Amino acid sequence: MILQALYDYYQRKPDLPREGFESKEIPFVIEVSKNGSAVQIEDTRTLDGKKKRAKNYLIPQAAKKSVNVAANILWGNAEYVLGLPDEQKLTDRRGKGKEREYEDRLKDMHAAFVDAVKALSERVQTDEGVQAVLKFIDQTKPADLERFGEIWKEIRSTNPNMTFRLQGDLELVCQRPSVINALNEAESGKGGDGICLLTGQKVKIERLHPPIKGVWGAQTSGANVVSFNLPSFTSWGKEQGGNAPVGEKAAFAYTTALNYLLARDSKQRIQIGDASTVFWADKPSSLEDQFADLFGEPPKDDPDRNARAIKALYEAPKHGIAPVDDVQTRFFVLGLSPNAARIAIRFWHVGTVAKLVKNIQQHFDDIEIDCPPYEKRYLSLWRLLVATATQNKSDNIPPNLGGELMRAILSGQPYPSSLLQNAVRRIRAEREVTYPRSAIVKACLNRARKTHEKELLMSLDEDNTDVAYLLGRLFFVLEEAQWAAHSTKTNPGTNTTIRDRFYGAASATPVTVFPQLLRLYPHHISKAAKSGRKGIAVRLEKLVDDITSKLPATNPFPSYMAISDQGRFAVGYYHQRHNFFSPNHSE
Amino acid sequence: MHKSYCLEVAGDFACFTRPEMKVERVSYDVMTPSAARAIFEAIIWKPALQWRVTRIEVLKPIRWISVRRNEVGAIASTRNVQTAMGSGSGDLGFYVEDERQQRAGLFLRDVAYRLHAYFELRDPSFHKPHFPHLSKATVNRGEEDLCAMPDNNAVKFLSMFERRASRGQCVNQPYLGCREFACSFRLVEDMREEPQPIEETRDLGWMLYDLDYSVSAHPKPRFFPARMVNGAVVVPAWESEEVRG
Repeated sequence: MILQALYDYYQRKPDLPREGFESKEIPFVIEVSKNGSAVQIEDTRTLDGKKKRAKNYLIPQAAKKSVNVAANILWGNAEYVLGLPDEQKLTDRRGKGKEREYEDRLKDMHAAFVDAVKALSERVQTDEGVQAVLKFIDQTKPADLERFGEIWKEIRSTNPNMTFRLQGDLELVCQRPSVINALNEAESGKGGDGICLLTGQKVKIERLHPPIKGVWGAQTSGANVVSFNLPSFTSWGKEQGGNAPVGEKAAFAYTTALNYLLARDSKQRIQIGDASTVFWADKPSSLEDQFADLFGEPPKDDPDRNARAIKALYEAPKHGIAPVDDVQTRFFVLGLSPNAARIAIRFWHVGTVAKLVKNIQQHFDDIEIDCPPYEKRYLSLWRLLVATATQNKSDNIPPNLGGELMRAILSGQPYPSSLLQNAVRRIRAEREVTYPRSAIVKACLNRARKTHEKELLMSLDEDNTDVAYLLGRLFFVLEEAQWAAHSTKTNPGTNTTIRDRFYGAASATPVTVFPQLLRLYPHHISKAAKSGRKGIAVRLEKLVDDITSKLPATNPFPSYMAISDQGRFAVGYYHQRHNFFSPNHSE
Repeated sequence: MHKSYCLEVAGDFACFTRPEMKVERVSYDVMTPSAARAIFEAIIWKPALQWRVTRIEVLKPIRWISVRRNEVGAIASTRNVQTAMGSGSGDLGFYVEDERQQRAGLFLRDVAYRLHAYFELRDPSFHKPHFPHLSKATVNRGEEDLCAMPDNNAVKFLSMFERRASRGQCVNQPYLGCREFACSFRLVEDMREEPQPIEETRDLGWMLYDLDYSVSAHPKPRFFPARMVNGAVVVPAWESEEVRG
């Protein structure tokens, strides 16, 4: 289904390279007139940040080469196209006394380039553009192009890829219809020898599938989804692609589509933990454009991008933007992670756009919790994941967690239990109940909630009588009392607060900590009142009375709290602190 | 008319591996006909029997789990075995530590299916030469003679299957796609009291039907366009036109 969906996506996108073609950056295009003289050389590069990047063109697929001479059709580097020596190589060879050999090789390369064009069918030979190129090659020596000045100098020194355009044409010579037809014919001439498991048609089976590039952590030259690179992976004595019959065309289509989705500037990819994630719909859909903004970290120059996307997501049904079609439109999310020269599927989700939008909204509802004004209101997946990792480092995000989280969000199922555990563990280890962590804890607990349990709200819930929640609130108040007692204008607070010392014990084994803290607390209050913080002292006292009155009369402090209770403790603490400091309460 | 049987199978995990992703395994969404056949065969099978799956019903929502496991990349060398056989001794050891391969898998979790199938008696002329050691009669017996043999009749196997399936007896433990994902099974006799399959309709694409073992040295896979309609996949007959390979 994964490959089939990619195959269908390829069929949906007419601007993806057709078979026998690929998309490549070509820095220089030589414009030739009909009689074969060079009119100009176009520099297609534009500034992208500090680097110049050439424009992408659809050109005939590159010939596979290593050390042999193999020319591409109607494009190539200056060595092939013009027979122009690469300056660097020339001096290199000259040093070794192999200048003659290089010159011979250069001749071979140039001849191979001409032969590749001449080997195409007769119809192509009569094409105006192709004829112009052949005339150009016939007439022109590299020296004739020196009149192009700066561009020429650069071509000589860098040996760049180049191709041709006929004067007056918009497309390249290798994109002229007759050339495309000729290449297509060459491809379809191959006989069938098996049933393709993507299309069900009898076609020629691909032996080695084209590589997939752009999966983070995989080899830069590309890795494979479908490959059988060790003997134990094969069955019934079959070799390579024969183990999973996929037609050459289908293999080209799915790899081209996947490479397109994974490309560097693709808007349809996002990194989640160690999984490179791509997504697409089977019909054009606005979710395709928004998805990355919903879950990705917003770019620095546009920090509100995800907030806008989320707002749009919520408001779409209100304005009736989401068309009825979206009930039918399917949306695919594919997570890939590298594994030893191969690519493994981390997760795969198929759903209708309408259902998905609902699930994503649910996620943002669940994750929402009050936050200080300086924090970003919507948390990207990366911020959530990194909050559960040691030292807040991406490298320490447990593998698989990102995928599990994404799956939970998209399918609307409970969040992975390791997410809650990791968040609570980080809170205890660092004694920091941060905004993303409490958001995670709240979301996890709410989704896994049994019907009789009370839902955790976005902000402080004074009616919540859950013991763990109340103890979390109480713990903050006690900490605040200590601070009010000890801090002065010159000395802000104490070196070690009760949170630093007791958070872990208070959240896991309350009975060992709270009685002692409650014994200390009257002293803190009276000291705070004496040192000119009467207002705060009164407010804190009220809070303590309020909270303790809600605690059960018998056995108010449990001897042990499970992970989920520790989570509620953290949320109670976070809520109380946020409420205490929010502007309409503080003095 | 053949009598059709229904088995309910359930397990914690399942992996009906897609051939194109069998290295880093990814399961099909729904059980394949060949996996269903293997479950019936686990209860009763002999060369004369051929199970034909007609319908696969999905009883629990399709859920996934991603698991990484250690496996090996090498296979035992035939040549080493041959040399060892020739010389009478040799090292046939297989060192797991050196051949380690980590493989990822995307499996199904918490699955339950209802499988419908019937069986046919095969023409014995084909399989007898392949399994001479299983046959009580001599290989050279005439065709008519074989068909008339009293111990090769359908009624006997029907009652054998019913008895074994209702008691939970099996030759080997039935499994869901991979041997490590064992499953429980139950013979369903009265469909009226059974729950409905899940309410889901989706196109499953081309799915592996089974391997064609007629040339036993080179089995060829056959595929069919699978579609789940209201939680049920109707499996076309092996000979039908939609089945290709």
